Amino acid sequence: MTTWLLLIYKVPNEPSARRVYVWRKLKGLGAILLQDSAWVLPANSRTREKLQWLTTEIKDMEGGVATLWEAQQVFTGQEDQLVQQFTGQVDTLYREILSGLAHDDPDLGALSKQYQQVTLQDYFHSALGERVREALINRRGAD
Amino acid sequence: MKWVTWERIGIDRMGCAWLIQRFLDPQAEFLFIPNEQMPLPEGYEPFDIPGVRLSHRRNHCTFHTMLSEYKLDDPILQRIASIIDEADIVQDVTVEPVAPGLDTICQGMRLISLDDHVAVEHSQLIYDALYAQLANERRI
Repeated sequence: MTTWLLLIYKVPNEPSARRVYVWRKLKGLGAILLQDSAWVLPANSRTREKLQWLTTEIKDMEGGVATLWEAQQVFTGQEDQLVQQFTGQVDTLYREILSGLAHDDPDLGALSKQYQQVTLQDYFHSALGERVREALINRRGAD
Repeated sequence: MKWVTWERIGIDRMGCAWLIQRFLDPQAEFLFIPNEQMPLPEGYEPFDIPGVRLSHRRNHCTFHTMLSEYKLDDPILQRIASIIDEADIVQDVTVEPVAPGLDTICQGMRLISLDDHVAVEHSQLIYDALYAQLANERRI
């Protein structure tokens, strides 16, 4: 059973830069927003550390409120759905890399960098990720 | 001096402990306490704990804060701060290829170390090596 981290927070509408700042950090971690209320990520040492600091940062903002929770789902069926949502999210990004590779003269340096960034959000080891990895490695040294 | 931080240390806390021992306080004594434990023990300087003086500051890690608090302007140390900034905090701009690798090694260090004291001891070698190589690259 997966342990999840839930971040529930509020930041005043203005200045908007702060809202964008927090939102970008969460998107950067690949977090998913549940019912417009709680951001969720699977718990591991990395996500826990990063969300702890983000929570502190939000609380330090004027008018910022944030609580961080560790939780397990009661119904396992829901869990599969959530895992699929995480995998679906990274698969979209992996497919972009695959279609980039299909172009004539693809920018292999940029695509492999992109791949490395996506793997950081690939919490459930998507099978497509493995395919992208092989596709990239196969292009190594190709004309 | 005595220093305290949260247990199960990672890249930033290992880096800070190394910085303390090498550049600030060779006789440093470390205490590791459970996350969120309050109040903090008296007579100890806390680091990398939310809300204390030596902590994260907007997009920067505690290692970075320590450099400015103790006025260490060594460019190699600044560079290490920039590496830890990228490893420890989600960033949309990344310019340090070493960062994810160092982060992985530090996480593994925690797995193979009996406790945090041992992790601090072992990670000295890694940070010494990083410092030496970055200094070497600057000379070329």
